[in-house]
Amino acid sequence: MHAAQILVNAVVLGCLYACIAIGFSLVWGVLNVINLIHGSFIVLGAYLAFGLYNALHISPWYSIAVAAPLFFVLGYLLQRLLLNRVITAPVLVTLTMTFGLDLILNNAMIYFFKADYRKLTLTPSLGSVSIFDVVVPVDRLIATVSALALTGLLYLLLRRSRVGRAIVAVRLDRDAAVLMGVDVKSIYAIAFGLGAALAGCAGVLMALIFPISPLTSSGYLGKAFVVCVLGGLGSVSGALAGGLLLALVEGIGSTFFGPAHATTLSFILLIVFLILRPQGLLGRKGFE
Amino acid sequence: MIFMFQSLAAMEKYSMNKSRVARYARLAAPLWAAAVLCGAQTSNASAEDVIRFGAPLPITGPLAPEAIKQQQGYDLWAEEANKAGGISVGGKKYKVEIVYADYQSNTPRAVQATEQMISQDNVNFMFGAFGSGAAKAASTVSEKYKVPTLAATASSVQVYDQGYKYLFGTFTPNDTLTTPLTQIIKAKVPEVKKVAILARNDLFPLAIAQEMEKSAKANGFDLVYFEKYAIGTLDHSATLSQIKSLAPQWIFVTGYINDLLLIRKQMVDQEMKAPIVTMIAGPAYQEFIESGGKTAENITSASWWHPAERYEGKDIFGSTENFVKLFKAKYKSEPDYGQASAALCGALFQMAIEKAGSLDRDKVRDELAKLDVVTFFGPVRFGANGQINSLDPPVFQIQGAKPVVLFPEAIKQGDLKVGVN
Repeated sequence: MHAAQILVNAVVLGCLYACIAIGFSLVWGVLNVINLIHGSFIVLGAYLAFGLYNALHISPWYSIAVAAPLFFVLGYLLQRLLLNRVITAPVLVTLTMTFGLDLILNNAMIYFFKADYRKLTLTPSLGSVSIFDVVVPVDRLIATVSALALTGLLYLLLRRSRVGRAIVAVRLDRDAAVLMGVDVKSIYAIAFGLGAALAGCAGVLMALIFPISPLTSSGYLGKAFVVCVLGGLGSVSGALAGGLLLALVEGIGSTFFGPAHATTLSFILLIVFLILRPQGLLGRKGFE
Repeated sequence: MIFMFQSLAAMEKYSMNKSRVARYARLAAPLWAAAVLCGAQTSNASAEDVIRFGAPLPITGPLAPEAIKQQQGYDLWAEEANKAGGISVGGKKYKVEIVYADYQSNTPRAVQATEQMISQDNVNFMFGAFGSGAAKAASTVSEKYKVPTLAATASSVQVYDQGYKYLFGTFTPNDTLTTPLTQIIKAKVPEVKKVAILARNDLFPLAIAQEMEKSAKANGFDLVYFEKYAIGTLDHSATLSQIKSLAPQWIFVTGYINDLLLIRKQMVDQEMKAPIVTMIAGPAYQEFIESGGKTAENITSASWWHPAERYEGKDIFGSTENFVKLFKAKYKSEPDYGQASAALCGALFQMAIEKAGSLDRDKVRDELAKLDVVTFFGPVRFGANGQINSLDPPVFQIQGAKPVVLFPEAIKQGDLKVGVN
């Protein structure tokens, strides 16, 4: 039964990791930008949920509907006004750019919200459901389902919509896409906006589960990074696979070697992947 | 990793734009000279009637919340001291000035900041860096320059066993927190036998957990689990499932407020219940009670000071009540042990300087070593190693969204309640 509990914990956590990573993966895969501001976007999303719940009693489920367009616009503008100017420069330049933006946003959050840890506590609390002694907290369950739904939506968007096809086309071959009449700059901005919107939504969901503070952003960013390398860049299903693998390794590592070694184990896995399968679980070789 | 990228980028840019750098340097030189001249002028003017205290703090980075607390304590003391005209030294009043430096939660930078404060900023006295680890590292510098240093938040004995003459600390050793708690639980809830300990893998939280392990074994408890979790752990569900399967009656967790809030939330998620749950060091903070809500109820903890204490002191704050009142008026919140200890360090410096009647560092150091006085924080007397040895740290429990003192008897406010759901 204990093993079943560990497995269930890992599946739930894996979906949360996927939710954290998916926007990051999209931006990295399509724009070839390592978006270091991603973690701070997630925290900002969490503050949005916290603020809306405490000030206006808006449930986090509705906050997602507020966060998605808001963060999309924020991301779109950021890409249009700033990142598009350096997008063709070597990857180090865009990395430095997002690093700087992250410093600004993170310190602004420390300035305005202070570094105190806050918690979004729903009243009444949602509790947990248990099936044969295996306990799953309802908020995590809902976050898991929402994460899967967001992932599914993104998948559909990329597969079925015109914009989605254009995003995939730019990802596959930027020059060919230009020749086919795709407005690459606008596609970049849309992809970055989508990434930001996914980060904002992830933040709203994470607010239910983790304490909120600007200082947690690097933790989210680190997980997103590992999940992307494990799962494969720019692939929707890859983020899910990477998240599940990471959570499983952490869960098993923590049970058998003690929680102090769970992180060590996950980073060993990361190194093994970088050496043996740099394209990740579901990534395809040759795509940048 | 990010810093690696940052420095790489800087190097790349540097090599590309050497001429631009040179141009900036030419532009910046006169500005720099002007700044130095201004600085020299002000420090000359202020050196006459100001006592400067250096306070290296982790103002940014993961320990920022702790730094804010210490800063509040120092500022409150400085404000009160200056309101009263300043510190009187041989009949002359000196204003208090606190010089802050941000070491970004990075211990090597705390050492650099301390060096800079003493050798360039000309501070008269030093406050220690935050926590045991950084305070210990930075103390080597202040000892080298023979600058009396008061550490407000260093409790581990390893900080004080270096044979240093100029370092003093206001937190009692870690075992003074765990021993009374263990004895209370042994006496009041004899059915509690199995103990599980989960510790943050960090100097102070781990030291407290190890003390707990010792005192649990010495008191005949059965230790069923003792593990560490890494700093920055985002999820504890696997660990907690394992602890749950061992069915301990006493769960003892150490860490800082974010860890403890997360672990408590995940314990509730997994429907973990135990007669006794102890968490150190978060529950002493008001934020823990507010954020934890109902789940904070009946959590036991221990800290070095509590606003419910009632000491009549000879320091500038006078009594615990007065300190709490002044603090609430300035910051609109209840003080906790971190803020109180910082304010105490200022008040102790003030007493030692006034007694010495001089700003001579050695004389002030000797007065600190001789101190035997009651303050708003409790009785203060330093042992031969410089660590305070005169305090009984309070044990408390969150009851009805308030911390209720269980020990020591003299300030007891209520009895231990069993059952954390």
